[in-house]
Amino acid sequence: MYQSDSEGWASSKDLRSHLGHLESELLFLSTLTGISIRNYSMKTEDLANTEKTEKSMKKVLQRHRLSGNCHMITFQLEFQILEIQDKENLSSVITDLNIIMEPTEYSELSEFVSRAEERRDLLMFFRSLHFFVEWCEYRKRTFEHFKEKYPEAVHLPEGAASSYMVVQSTRQPGFELVIVWRVQIDEEGKVLPKLDLLPKAPQQALQLDRNRVLETAPLSFRALLGALGIEAALESLIKSLCTADYGRFPADSQVSKMPQEAPRPYAELTCSPRSP
Amino acid sequence: MEWANDGKSKGGVLAHLERLEIQVNRSRKNLEDPQRAQAVESALGTKIHKLRCLRDKLRAEVKQRQARVRASPDQTLEISEQEVMERRQEKVKAILQAYRFTGLSGKLTSRGVCVCISTAFEGNLLDSYFIDLVIQKPLRIHHHSIPVFIPLEEISAKYLQNNIQHFLFCLCEYLNAYAGRKYQADRLQSDFAAFLAGPLQRNSLCNLLSFTYKVELRGQFPFRARLQYKDLTTTLPTDVTITYQGTDALSPSWEEQRASHENLFFSKPLHHVFTYLQEKEKSWI
Repeated sequence: MYQSDSEGWASSKDLRSHLGHLESELLFLSTLTGISIRNYSMKTEDLANTEKTEKSMKKVLQRHRLSGNCHMITFQLEFQILEIQDKENLSSVITDLNIIMEPTEYSELSEFVSRAEERRDLLMFFRSLHFFVEWCEYRKRTFEHFKEKYPEAVHLPEGAASSYMVVQSTRQPGFELVIVWRVQIDEEGKVLPKLDLLPKAPQQALQLDRNRVLETAPLSFRALLGALGIEAALESLIKSLCTADYGRFPADSQVSKMPQEAPRPYAELTCSPRSP
Repeated sequence: MEWANDGKSKGGVLAHLERLEIQVNRSRKNLEDPQRAQAVESALGTKIHKLRCLRDKLRAEVKQRQARVRASPDQTLEISEQEVMERRQEKVKAILQAYRFTGLSGKLTSRGVCVCISTAFEGNLLDSYFIDLVIQKPLRIHHHSIPVFIPLEEISAKYLQNNIQHFLFCLCEYLNAYAGRKYQADRLQSDFAAFLAGPLQRNSLCNLLSFTYKVELRGQFPFRARLQYKDLTTTLPTDVTITYQGTDALSPSWEEQRASHENLFFSKPLHHVFTYLQEKEKSWI
């Protein structure tokens, strides 16, 4: 543990520059993957051959501990890998997986975490975590974009990081459109955005609505999403509610287009390939 | 109400009665649920023990460090800087290795970066693939070990230039799904060969599988299965067709089996379906 002489390092300058190179590699990797690992340790244990195994078989149990974060979500993992080496091949199997995540307010995540632990699917955990965070960030940017573009019509009662946005006409405050945008993780770890429209109107308006426009609005919204994608669908929704408010819409200048596209085109996500 | 206004003794009696009541409730609670009380107690006891061990460990470490400082007070400063750097180096090296558990790891190259994509299925760590990227405008792929049937051109055309993170995770998704399907097909061939008539027909992408099988060890092979995985990012089929081709007439019981098998193949990994069917068979004996 406590070596009086450095082994292999001609000078501490060499060590410093090599360390610098490693640190920049680490920084690069964490930027590239979006996942920042801050701590990692591993212990190995040679399992004694108590069974009637041949001498050529080696069994090693590795205990890993890993912690870090992916944007606003921090994780702490403990897992075990059993490595079996016989004459022909080496097999590595994750035999136990424990995951602790914060913040815990993303309720969609707790179910997902239990599933990942049950299946001992470490890689799927990170992959889905990445896509989940990506969608949450896109949702936040989208909400912020519309708030900036239509400040009087768009309201974010719980902030841009929440899961819903309210569109209200200033001329007709009784009319409201609540757009609920959840980011869900399915059984196989696939991350999907799920958007729903909840219209609100005064009782009188509902009575006058002979064409049942308000009743069918949620379904029409789904169709709109499939046809135009999320950003364009929301834009057209806001414009249609607020036609009276704006004599003219903000010119299609810098503010109008979102700086980044959706992680995946919405139309690609909604098709359900399973046959009945 | 003519109760004695002798506050002291009255307060004393009432307070005493209250205390007795609390005691009775507590002991009743413990009697009613002695297990719970015991469990709580033993959990606390374990916690106390753990904390004591930790405290002792930390005390020992403190003593060690103090001894070190006392032993060589002059050299300590120089050596400790070196030691700090060495320790940091070990830590960073270990973390770089640990990235493979996220699915994506890599090394810097003179041109850019060589990314290594790891795959796994149900906790089984499988093959890794690499992709060597040249960091220039535009980004380009120098070379790679990705199988030709994975739609690499399509994925890179969509994402490589705009969002390299998404490009890599997308590739990771495709490769992991392929590795998972391949693993299932391999396991079916190796573990359940006795239940298959003839070889398992499969394509290189492992998204189209066809085989004839039976459930009981004796007897004919009554079912032909055709599994299609149209979504290349999943490890479960999107289309399942089971046809009965036994020599007996198609009775309701065969039809029932056929339909239930279809459902099984939709919902469980391939080799697990056979494990399940085998266990069901055994339970009939």
